[in-house]
Amino acid sequence: MRYSTRLPRASLVRPLLLLTLILAITIGMAVSFGATPLSWRALMDGDETARAILLRIRLPRVLLASAIGATLAVAGVTFQTLLRNPLADPFILGVSGGAACGAAISTALGFSRIPGLVPVVAFLGALGATAAVFLLARRRDHTDPARLLISGLVLNALFSALILISFAMSKQSDLTAALRWMMGTLFGASWTSVALVTSLLVVAFVVLVFIANDLRLLAFGEDDARSRGVNVERVKLIGFVGASIVTGAAVAVSGIIGFVGLLVPHLIRMIWRRDFRFLLPLCALGGAALLVGADVVSRVIVRDVELPVGAFTAILGVPFFLSLLRRGR
Amino acid sequence: MLELANVSYAYGDAAAVREVTLRVDQRQLVALAGPNGSGKSTLLKLVARVFAAQSGEVSLDGKTIAQWPAKEYARQVGYLPQDPDPAFPMRAIDVVVSGRAPYSTRFAWETDEDWREAERALALCDAAHLADRYFDEMSGGERKRVFLARVLAGTPRLILLDEPLAALDVSHMQQFSALLREIVDRTGASVLFASHDLNWAAAYSDRMLIMDRGTLALDATPAEVMRPEVMRTYFGFDVEAVTAGGRSWVVPKI
Repeated sequence: MRYSTRLPRASLVRPLLLLTLILAITIGMAVSFGATPLSWRALMDGDETARAILLRIRLPRVLLASAIGATLAVAGVTFQTLLRNPLADPFILGVSGGAACGAAISTALGFSRIPGLVPVVAFLGALGATAAVFLLARRRDHTDPARLLISGLVLNALFSALILISFAMSKQSDLTAALRWMMGTLFGASWTSVALVTSLLVVAFVVLVFIANDLRLLAFGEDDARSRGVNVERVKLIGFVGASIVTGAAVAVSGIIGFVGLLVPHLIRMIWRRDFRFLLPLCALGGAALLVGADVVSRVIVRDVELPVGAFTAILGVPFFLSLLRRGR
Repeated sequence: MLELANVSYAYGDAAAVREVTLRVDQRQLVALAGPNGSGKSTLLKLVARVFAAQSGEVSLDGKTIAQWPAKEYARQVGYLPQDPDPAFPMRAIDVVVSGRAPYSTRFAWETDEDWREAERALALCDAAHLADRYFDEMSGGERKRVFLARVLAGTPRLILLDEPLAALDVSHMQQFSALLREIVDRTGASVLFASHDLNWAAAYSDRMLIMDRGTLALDATPAEVMRPEVMRTYFGFDVEAVTAGGRSWVVPKI
């Protein structure tokens, strides 16, 4: 009975607690650090400025960072499992690029003056990119991983071109916001954006929990999963659409924050090499902690300058991508 | 138990299985042989519910596949694909226990019984020592044994194996074939396995099905199949038949 004492359910508790603790610590740090140091004592004493910094600036930003980090990591691990390829990531597959392209085009068309419209178009861009990348990579009855990555690459090139054209045609006044958005930023986080991303994340998470067992089996291959009674086409549709919707929402709100979806599942898998049912909650917590942490570093690393967090995560992610590529998996 | 009636399947325009009719009863070890591209794998996939027959009916215990609830069918029929791979690093025991999935509900984790069955299946496949090893650190033969254990962990009544002997060394081939024989004799399950190794297939099966360009060309006992004229007709090579240990074997003429 060596294994009956190590049921997955039981062994999930410790990693969950550990990652929750790490997330709590990073959130604590993120709330305290910033351009204006936040004094907890002043806050306790009922200082209005401290209260405003906490509630209007820090807290929405930190919560948005955790929601977006969790979203990207959950989308990443879902794409990876569906495609049976550890290199899949919303950024690499072109889903983020599609959203960015939608946002850039709508900015050029002057939609940015109508509140809420740019995120909606960004969102549609993400869905369109997902559809395109999968149609391109499909070969008979399966999605070829190499073709998928190449399709993502080609689409990303196309999106970059469209984004540049859109920028060239945009009004100067609209450009600053668009550029900030392209760099991936959590600046200007509001409670509305927190609520939007969090609610979509929760819905997607619940849906993914619903198909987690099927996704676990899908990792063994589509034929194998089918023979075990999994409705493969339905699970793929739900998984892809769900992961694309949340990615679209995350990118619509915070711009392109790359490689979180690649980095987090990879790190989690390095420590806990288990199936999708484990990885899903652990990636959510890990993604949240990573992005909150990256945001703190990008805010404090250079004095008086806020570095774009998206560029920062990409710098972290590239070495991991290369190491995965070298290992040929 | 298993019945196929005029079953056909094509990949686009290329017919892979044509009008196959056959019946497999309980307690039978049936070998499926034929040249490359003769439709062996497709036939197994049609029975495994990977593909649905484009015409004809596949039925188990008198019920067609469509009439079986998917999960219920998966408990009856275990399928080992040709190149199984868990895609991400996993322990062998986790691979094997996933074979118990048809017994589980959507949100349930594995029960004690599932782990017991997984351990038992690993031991049967001479792979108990691999339980804690990671799949990506194993040899081809070891992986094959782990995946066979995964099929057995589901305690299916009909076991479908696509090239189960490939990548196994001779001693494990023998051990494995004997294990299949034992499972069939002891539990009354039936096995349908595709193999390119005619001598092994003949030595360990009760019956051999020879596929030829998608059709079922011959359904006979090993002794009837292992003859020079059969080999010439369906496999296009000249052999000498020899008898040893009370069985017929074929040796290629060189």
